[in-house]
Amino acid sequence: MRICLTVNGKKQELDSTPGDTLLHLLRRIGYKGVKKGCESGDCGACAVLLDGRVVNSCLVLAAKADGHCVTTVEGLAGQEKTGELHPVQEAFLEQGAVQCGYCSPGMMIAAVDLLAHNPNPTDQEIKEGISGNLCRCTGYVKQIEAIRIAAKKMRKSADV
Amino acid sequence: MALSNLREYVRPDGLDMALSLVKEKGRSARVIGGGIDLVRSSSPDIETLVDLSQLSLSYVRQTDKGIAIGATTTLTEIVEAPVLNNYLQGVVVEMLRQVGAPSLRNLASMGGTLASAHPWSDVITLFVALGAQVTLYNGVTRMVPLSDLYASRALLSPAIITEALLPAYAHGTAAAFMKFSRTKFDIAILNCACLISTQNGDCESVRLTAGGTPQLAALLPEVAEVLLGRKLSQTSIGQAAEMARETTLVRNDLRASGNYRRELVYAGVKRCLTCVSTHLSGASQ
Ligand SMILES: Cc1cc2nc3c(=O)[nH]c(=O)nc-3n(C[C@H](O)[C@H](O)[C@H](O)COP(=O)(O)OP(=O)(O)OC[C@H]3O[C@@H](n4cnc5c(N)ncnc54)[C@H](O)[C@@H]3O)c2cc1C
Ligand code: FES
Ligand code: FES
Repeated sequence: MRICLTVNGKKQELDSTPGDTLLHLLRRIGYKGVKKGCESGDCGACAVLLDGRVVNSCLVLAAKADGHCVTTVEGLAGQEKTGELHPVQEAFLEQGAVQCGYCSPGMMIAAVDLLAHNPNPTDQEIKEGISGNLCRCTGYVKQIEAIRIAAKKMRKSADV
Repeated sequence: MALSNLREYVRPDGLDMALSLVKEKGRSARVIGGGIDLVRSSSPDIETLVDLSQLSLSYVRQTDKGIAIGATTTLTEIVEAPVLNNYLQGVVVEMLRQVGAPSLRNLASMGGTLASAHPWSDVITLFVALGAQVTLYNGVTRMVPLSDLYASRALLSPAIITEALLPAYAHGTAAAFMKFSRTKFDIAILNCACLISTQNGDCESVRLTAGGTPQLAALLPEVAEVLLGRKLSQTSIGQAAEMARETTLVRNDLRASGNYRRELVYAGVKRCLTCVSTHLSGASQ
C-alpha cells in the first residue's frame, strides 16, 4: 500500500504494508534517530511527534499515520533552515545530559511537546513529561536540568 | 512485524459502513482506536482494521445529561478539556494524569480504553464508580451502564462504542480516585474510586469500586451499605475500610499477593473516603 506522510516538513509518498509500524517505516527510509527499544510502549526510545504530539512510534501503525505530519529528532534542528540546534538540543549538550545517547532523541522529542504546551513547567511537570522515556545511564538529573534551561531559553526568545 | 496477517486498513466515512465491515468479517476485523493494544497483540486472526477517525467522534461536550466523550477522543484531549476541570473536583483529570505517560495518552482513545477492559484499568475503575454510561451502535443506538458492558461482553459483538457519558451530579456530591503502583506511571497493583452524594451531610448514595484486585473493577455494595444514611466521620470511614478489607475478593498475581492487596483495599477505601469528606466539607463552607 502507498501512504503519504509529511516527515520533518517534507511530504513523501511511501511504500508500506498494513501491519508496518511507523517506527519501522521511519527507520527504513533513513530516520535512524528514531530508536528501536522495547517495541511495547515502555521505553520511549522511538518517540516522535505526530501532528505535534509525542507518541511511541512503535505503537502506531504507519497506515494510521497516513496523511499526517511526523517530526523526528532529525527535524528539530534548523527548523528555519538556519542549521541551528533546537534550544532543547542545545541545553542537552550544554548540561551534559547525554551519556550513551540511546534515549536522547525520544527524551528530547518528549521535552519539545512538553514545552510547546507548557512553557514554564515545574520540575514535577518535567518529570511527568518525560515519564515515558527510560534512561539507563544518566539518573535523569541532568536531563531535567537541561529541560528547565531549554524552557528558560525558549521563554526568553519568545519575549524578544 | 506487529500484525502479521493484517491485509487491510480501512477508514470508513460512515458509522454504518464501519459496522457492516465488522459484521461481515467477524473476528478477523477489529475496530481500531489508538491501536496501542492491537499493535502489541500480534494476533494472527486480525486481517482488517477499521479506523473510526473519519466519523467525527473526537469531542468532549457538556450536555444536559452530563459530559459526553466521543469514542475516538484521546486521553490527552480529555485531560485538556476545560469542562472536566470542575467536574467532581477534577477527579477525571487527576486519574488520567496517572495513566501511562503523555506519549501513551496522546494515542489511547476513549473507546479503545473502555473496550479493552484491562482489569487494572484506572479509567474503568473510576468510570464505573461515577456511574458512566456508554453508547453502543449495532444498527440501532442504545445507551447502557458501563458496568453492563463488562457483565455481558456479548453487548460488543458486534457493536461499536460511539460515546461515553459521565452523568451530571448535583451539589453535595464528591468523588475520589486512588491508585497504588510501583511508580506513579506504572500499571496499578490495585486502584479504588468512590462517588458519594449527600443530603444534609448524610450519605444518600454511595458507589465504591476496587480494580486490579486482580479482577476488573467491581462495585463494593457491602462497603457502601456501611455508610448509607450516615455522616462521613473517622469512625464511619474506618468501619467502611474494615468492611472493604473483609469483603473484597482479592487474589495473588505477578504484581502482588492477595494479602498485600487486602491491605491496599483497606488503605485505598480509607483514603478515597477521607478525600471525599474533605471535598464535601470544603463545599459546604
Ligand atoms: C506502556 C503502557 C502503559 C500503560 N499504562 C496504563 C495505566 O497506567 N493505566 C491504565 O489504565 N492503562 C494503561 N495502559 C493501557 C492503555 O490505557 C490501553 O492500552 C489503551 O487505553 C488502549 O486504548 P486504544 O485506543 O489504544 O485501544 P485499541 O488498541 O485501539 O483497541 C483496544 C480494543 O478495543 C477495541 N475497540 C477500540 N475502539 C473501539 C470502539 N470504539 N468500539 C468498540 N471496540 C473498540 C479494539 O478492537 C480492541 O479490541 C498502558 C498501556 C501501555 C502499553
Ligand atoms: S521502542 Fe517504542 S516505546 Fe520502546
Ligand atoms: S543516555 Fe544512555 S540510556 Fe539515556
